[in-house]
Amino acid sequence: MSTIKVRIPMPLRTYTGGAGEVEVEARDVREALAALGAAHDGVLARVLSAEGELRQFVNVFVGSRNIRSLEGLSTPLAEGDVVAIVPAVAGGTMKARERRLIELKARIPEVSPQEAIALQGRGAALVDVREADEIAQGSAPGALRLGRGFLELRVEEMVPDPARPIVVMCGTGTRSLFAAEDLARLGYASVCSVAGGFARWKSEGLPVEVPFALDRSARERYSRHLLMPEVGEAGQTRLVRSKVLLVGAGGLGSPAAYYLAAAGVGTLGLVDHDVVDRSNLQRQILHTDARVGTSKVASARQALEALNPAVRVAGHEAHLTSANVEEILGGYDVVVDGSDNFPTRYLVNDACVKLGIPNVHGAVFRFEGQVAVFWPGRALHPGPCYRCLYPEPPPPEYAPSCAEAGVLGVLPGVIGLLQATETVKLLLGIGEPLVGRMLYFDALRASFSELTLERDPHCRYCGTGREFPGYIDYEQFCARAAA
Amino acid sequence: MVLEMPLSARGQLERWAEEGYPRERCGLLLGQAGDGVVRVAEVTHAHNLDAGRARDRYALDPDDYLRADARARAHRLEIVGVWHTHPDHPARPSASDRAQAWGGWSYLILSVSAQGVQAMRSWRLEGKDFIEESFRS
Repeated sequence: MSTIKVRIPMPLRTYTGGAGEVEVEARDVREALAALGAAHDGVLARVLSAEGELRQFVNVFVGSRNIRSLEGLSTPLAEGDVVAIVPAVAGGTMKARERRLIELKARIPEVSPQEAIALQGRGAALVDVREADEIAQGSAPGALRLGRGFLELRVEEMVPDPARPIVVMCGTGTRSLFAAEDLARLGYASVCSVAGGFARWKSEGLPVEVPFALDRSARERYSRHLLMPEVGEAGQTRLVRSKVLLVGAGGLGSPAAYYLAAAGVGTLGLVDHDVVDRSNLQRQILHTDARVGTSKVASARQALEALNPAVRVAGHEAHLTSANVEEILGGYDVVVDGSDNFPTRYLVNDACVKLGIPNVHGAVFRFEGQVAVFWPGRALHPGPCYRCLYPEPPPPEYAPSCAEAGVLGVLPGVIGLLQATETVKLLLGIGEPLVGRMLYFDALRASFSELTLERDPHCRYCGTGREFPGYIDYEQFCARAAA
Repeated sequence: MVLEMPLSARGQLERWAEEGYPRERCGLLLGQAGDGVVRVAEVTHAHNLDAGRARDRYALDPDDYLRADARARAHRLEIVGVWHTHPDHPARPSASDRAQAWGGWSYLILSVSAQGVQAMRSWRLEGKDFIEESFRS
């Protein structure tokens, strides 16, 4: 043990009875401080943290050297050493921000998190103005997560009534003051801010929910969607959680799947049992010359994953039949029918009717194409199914396939993208879908026309009050029409 | 408490404040405290470690503190306070001053603009708040 002098700065002398120097016995700095603390109650807490580390705003010197550049608290001491406690001296100007905060606190009423819950219970809108990455860690249940950046642009849609009280919350209660002032300026009569913000909310043990949120790369990828209030974060989240099945990864399925993957539809199912043929490449843009001969599902998966790795591609390399149709279609939100044959089209129609799934139908022939949404299961304003229009398939000479009659390569691009557009609208629940209508496109005349499609109340499959009659032998059904 | 300072020390602080403008300057007050009066005998100038934000922040170099402390002891004085400038801001303690202040010291603040020192006021931490103390020179 060595006898050490500890120099006490004036601000700490209240603990040492005014003494500017205290003698202790110690082998290192830690012991010297401990001895000082033992002799003078309270002084140690100003120098060391609860964990026993040197506090940030204090320096300790041995002679003229800072122990941070020696061995820290373990710096050894020798007889006669002087240990000086040096308080950090720092500060700064009052920034404009600080002056503004004082003003705002005088003007904007503040409430506790508990009071915020009570206000929310009485009908107030609780608006969380934190950034998306903060909200991803958790947010108050039922809060409107509008963010700060677009708050003024978006709040009116969520809170149309200017008399409805608004409680604004941020991370610690500072940003919410600024946001509250802006909302008051927009004309909301009663706006307050949660003092202490979400940090206090959480520390008081109030309920927290972790909302699904887009990560940074998704936010960048879908930024043009996020800019539109009709899509926005909620809509994009819906797309990411959606499942769309494409029947056929060919002329219609290619552009539809490609854009749906780009748009961020989370799960894309592909049903196709075919392999890529060089004659497909004139229009089936998912496939490439190098992949001629490989399965269309595998080829499509490669293209879609390259475009958007976040999309899950569920491949069904199978021929769609009565036996597997429900297993394959079940669980999808929308089916996009891009099939090129009548047995499949009827089968898909019947299964969609039974499962209540909207069926986005498309078909192309030479220079013409058509799009419609068949959705008899729609809750409000149900539409017809394919069978309401065509109870039976036409004879083959009236409906030759592309393989027989040819097709303008870009035409399935137009029709497939109209199908994709309808699909996205259905998933988002926006706009007026092509339910009960068929859009007909004539590429040579460059004209669209619209046909009204009526429901057939006596339709065997979707007629009012009818039980599902069961699947049939579709090959035979279509072959019979051919006979 | 009352802070007393000789005119020479006051003139020295004004020169430093104006030379430093628009950056913050800081230093220590050496003197003796007792009977409700803090008598400043000497003022020192210290490096501002917060060079990146020298327009609105200061952090006094602990080596300068140590030198001032040695000098004070040699003259039987104490470090009795801190001075710093507020370029283009009032001579009132800011939130960041308060957050980093120590009790038992005088905090002398010089408000300085391009036209020179505008005000000089002294403050002392009482609990969590700064209370203004009289300042004479």
